[in-house]
Amino acid sequence: MGPDGREGPGKSLMRPEIAGIAWSQRQKAMGFVLIGITLVIVPHLMPNNYWLRIYGMTGIYVMLALGLNVVAGFAGLLDLAYVAFFGIGGYLFAFFSSHHFDIHLPFPLVLPLSALVTMGFGFALGAVSLRLKGDYLAIVTLAFAQIFKLLLFNLDRPVNITGGVNGIFNFDPIEIFGFKIVSPIAYSYLIWFLALVVIIGSFRIKRSRFGRGWEAIREDELAAEAMGVNTTRMKLWAFAGGAFIAGASGTLFASFQDSVFPNSFDFQQLVVIYCMVILGGMGNIVGVTLGAILLSILPEFLREYGAYRMMFYGLILIVLMALRPQGLLGEIGFLTKKMKRPDKDETGVLKASTDLYYDVDSMKAPRKAGYSIDRRPILELNNVTMNFGGLVAVDHLSLTLREREILSVIGPNGAGKTTAFNLISGIYPPTSGKVLFEGTNITGLKPHQVVEIGIARTFQNLRLFNKMSVLDNAKVSQFCRTKSGPLSILLRLPRHRTEERETEKVAKEMLSLFGARLTGYRFDQGAMFLSYANRRRLEIARAMSTNAKLLMLDEPSAGMNPQETVEITEFIKALRDIYGYTILVIEHKLNVVKTISDRVIALDYGRKIAEGSYEEVASNKQVIEAYLGRKKN
Amino acid sequence: MIHGIRTFLYPACSGNDMDFYLQQLPQQLVNGLTLGGVYALIAIGYTMVYGILSMLNFAHGEIYMIGGFVGWWVLHLLIGESGPVLHVSLVISLMLIIAMGMTGLLGIAVERFAYRPLRKAPRMNLLLSALGVSIFLQNLVLHHQGAKARFFLVSSLIPESLRLFQVGEVVFSFMRILVIVVAFLLMTGLTFMIKRTKVGKAMRATAQDIEAASFMGIDVDRMIVFVFLIGSALGGAAGTLVGLLFTQVDYYVGFQAGLKGFTAAVLGGIGNIYGAMFGGILLGLLESIATTFFPATYKDVVAFVVLILVLIFRPWGLMGEKVPEKV
Repeated sequence: MGPDGREGPGKSLMRPEIAGIAWSQRQKAMGFVLIGITLVIVPHLMPNNYWLRIYGMTGIYVMLALGLNVVAGFAGLLDLAYVAFFGIGGYLFAFFSSHHFDIHLPFPLVLPLSALVTMGFGFALGAVSLRLKGDYLAIVTLAFAQIFKLLLFNLDRPVNITGGVNGIFNFDPIEIFGFKIVSPIAYSYLIWFLALVVIIGSFRIKRSRFGRGWEAIREDELAAEAMGVNTTRMKLWAFAGGAFIAGASGTLFASFQDSVFPNSFDFQQLVVIYCMVILGGMGNIVGVTLGAILLSILPEFLREYGAYRMMFYGLILIVLMALRPQGLLGEIGFLTKKMKRPDKDETGVLKASTDLYYDVDSMKAPRKAGYSIDRRPILELNNVTMNFGGLVAVDHLSLTLREREILSVIGPNGAGKTTAFNLISGIYPPTSGKVLFEGTNITGLKPHQVVEIGIARTFQNLRLFNKMSVLDNAKVSQFCRTKSGPLSILLRLPRHRTEERETEKVAKEMLSLFGARLTGYRFDQGAMFLSYANRRRLEIARAMSTNAKLLMLDEPSAGMNPQETVEITEFIKALRDIYGYTILVIEHKLNVVKTISDRVIALDYGRKIAEGSYEEVASNKQVIEAYLGRKKN
Repeated sequence: MIHGIRTFLYPACSGNDMDFYLQQLPQQLVNGLTLGGVYALIAIGYTMVYGILSMLNFAHGEIYMIGGFVGWWVLHLLIGESGPVLHVSLVISLMLIIAMGMTGLLGIAVERFAYRPLRKAPRMNLLLSALGVSIFLQNLVLHHQGAKARFFLVSSLIPESLRLFQVGEVVFSFMRILVIVVAFLLMTGLTFMIKRTKVGKAMRATAQDIEAASFMGIDVDRMIVFVFLIGSALGGAAGTLVGLLFTQVDYYVGFQAGLKGFTAAVLGGIGNIYGAMFGGILLGLLESIATTFFPATYKDVVAFVVLILVLIFRPWGLMGEKVPEKV
């Protein structure tokens, strides 16, 4: 938390334990020292070489599981080709440092090289399967894994590339800057050092724009895209990141085993890695690490039941999914600090926060000078039409929205209001017509590009990232305003740190507009635990955190009680008057429409049937007909 | 199964010569139709479950494999020292019926223990649970039956004179015809049930909208059980038929067959039963024609490439409809 974080309106809302952070940093340093000492000592405690090998394999599994955790855990992509990347890494090592092709590259070069090449394969797989979701993604990646295995088995003819069933063996001994790595102890050090690097990298990436972007995609891909996350690119990065780690692990594995053959990279291996990730809890770095350690060592104690091993893995999957899908460590209290409950007073009675969250005095202040409707147009729709296979949801809709104007869209159910929003925000490309924002054509842009250009929206049926904290929900919105790549995140370069501070500042500022309802202890609360009205508020705060100029609010007062409705109405007005937003709003409550609107348009069957001031539209004959039906003559 | 197909069908084809290919075409059509019938039966199981629960029943391939083992077991019991103890038609009927019954029950058990607890859970969890079931069943059979293939003693079941006969250039085998006929009968029966019976109507309603169906008084849970029963039974029948056709079964056949069946289901448009039938036959024909062009080792790649292409370019299948995501 930098000095700029303490200035500005968020000042009083900073988390109280600022002093605690310094302490926890010392604790962290202690932790690192402890882990370092452990890693130095443990190999020497192993009773024999057999156990040393298991210790080394455990480290490789930790890396593998954490790599899968990037794709499946962070981004929620069920990648069943993961084990193929492990294989590619292994075979690349075999190609680059053995007599097989008579290439003998030094290990410090081979390791990053094969990791990078594998990452390229990861990108390729991601690019091919980008449009697929859930089950389809799983099955396509599984098909790729099968093709990979078939190739491994059969590419020994006509030219011997993979060595067929027998694989390739007898590799160059590896040497790192003069140190020959031959003994199991040396391997243990090397493997666990890299495993530690992967663990630290996982933590860093999880708490960055990448981590938040992935989590948002996992929670709700469409909402992530609509909040400015370039979901396409982030999914590619997830595949690539997983593949990178898998490739590096494969290289280590090949060297450690001194051989590669197809059966090390089969479906069973994949299930084992998945079990580790799921046992630890998807996305939970500590959990996944422990899961990998547990499942690498446990089978050694159950050797006499070896035949049941794979059955046991199958059962783990079934039972965990039914009883503890979040994994053994997921959401367990003892690892996280106990939160004080500032929402309760000393006697434990719930304090209701009913204080108004907007500044009453500023509301009474006269409108800012110079405000008038006939400013330059900010958003224009020209004859926009949306045709869903014959059903015309929006029919030649044209409208102009001027800067700092609140335009309400009303109309009966199915009139095409939300579709119009979807067309503007890029969720559907319109069948015909043009959308202009500040004079530039934005028709056909992807939702995240629309956000980047300055339009943000909320969803009628609430699409928050439910498992993410309130603060992280708002932070996701800064994704399109930040540019750090994986390198600056992993190395904590100044750019990443500046951006993180800025992100936190903006998110807290926006949330603080809603007062105690979204700030304080609520920063760390999961969005799913908020009340309905607070979730609506968070939707708005999230949209505002994208630094948008134009807000599109889809029924902001839906489901709110009369008092909350009054509050949100005033707040929307304040957004325009004080903060200078331009607002397009869909609303059913006509008293809200009446209070906030500069202008109103009425839609029916996708067509605009009336436009003008509230009074004009409300007394329009066609509008009355659309709502109430035609009078019988 | 893969070995079986290769050695049984294509001892001679290696050339890409066009004349040779044209000569082979009728034979390949017959072979493809047989294979296609089997794929269609497997695909129906996938598509029915998908239609009603929108989940990919990953364990379906293993159910098919277990169907093969049950068929083998029944045959093994009914064949004495000097040939079958019952009439051939009775033996085959018993094999099919018992295999279908057992796999049907297995399907119900799988639904009850692995999928029902997850009905409200995210789809990813369901899929992982299905993956678990698949691995579990596969290794259960491995543990119980060993890794070696079991051979169907078809030679002592069917008299030599009936086994193979030739019409013009095309060689038919008794088993091939049997597979086509049984697959056709089962699919006709299923179509009749879905179109003409009360249960079928309830099933269609449940597939369209599970909630609305339950509001209209349909016992949705029972419908789901029913779907698993029928889908798994058809998969079991396919397992036994393939066992009879290629004379062997092992613990690992389910994986490949499952992927092929799923490919067929997707090809036709998943969720659509007629699509699954069509997709199965199409995939069978494609594979068997492709073997004249490619080395047999890469035969499976054909199915996978078809799967990948369809899912990427036309994920709603050849007969399905594109449904835009509701926002």
